[in-house]
Amino acid sequence: MATPEERTASFEREALPHLDLLYRVARRLTGDPTRAEDLVQDTMLKAFRAWDRFEAGTNARGWLLTILRNTFINDYRRARRTPVTVDLELAEPHRIFQTVAESDPEGEFFRRVVDERVVAAIDGLPEEFREVLVLSDVEGLPYAEIAAMLNLPLGTVKSRLFRARRHLQAELYDHAVEAGIVRPREPTP
Amino acid sequence: MSADLNCREALDLLQEFLRQELTPEVETAVTRHLAECRHCLQHGEFERNFLEALERAVGRERCPESVRQRILAGLRESPPPA
Repeated sequence: MATPEERTASFEREALPHLDLLYRVARRLTGDPTRAEDLVQDTMLKAFRAWDRFEAGTNARGWLLTILRNTFINDYRRARRTPVTVDLELAEPHRIFQTVAESDPEGEFFRRVVDERVVAAIDGLPEEFREVLVLSDVEGLPYAEIAAMLNLPLGTVKSRLFRARRHLQAELYDHAVEAGIVRPREPTP
Repeated sequence: MSADLNCREALDLLQEFLRQELTPEVETAVTRHLAECRHCLQHGEFERNFLEALERAVGRERCPESVRQRILAGLRESPPPA
């Protein structure tokens, strides 16, 4: 049986390195810095209380993210004003690339869009899309790990990611046109 | 999977290619297609620049030090599990 000091030391060694990641995910889930701070603190203290149930050598990151997510759902999520299943339209999968193909084929405009607009676009995604996008494309978790954590089929994770990315690309392109970063394509007669 | 991909197949695999989600054989097939196809290569750069914009905007934020300190203090005050 570990002494309290050993227990604290092993928690600090294995769980604390994930603090920045947990904070970033909390930030995007809550959409608010203060609530994100409270959510991360609640998560870590809950995890610490349950630390004896964590199997050493298994995936601490996934274990902590699951606690974060459950805590968010139970205590932090505001009542939804929108229906539970929101879908993002996907008329043409490669529309934005086709739109910029002549003027900016490598999407250089993404480098010039200000970070605030990217943040606003991500935060504007419906939660079920925002969550997979942040876990995959910001934090780099493998698709299979996300699917297991969210209890979703792998195909659902892929399809949400695909739609979320296309939606963000469309938003950022519209912004880039508005800001004069790219010139809209002349309508063909 | 056949060794040679057409553009449609390569584009459908592009996002998974960039996220390193493909098997080594399929990854090699995409790499080979991109080496020969300027259009798909540009599309790959487009997707890569997009992913970099996400990472730059929200992937570098750190947990505030005050929160870290509150958590560390909480660990020391937390009662041992029943």
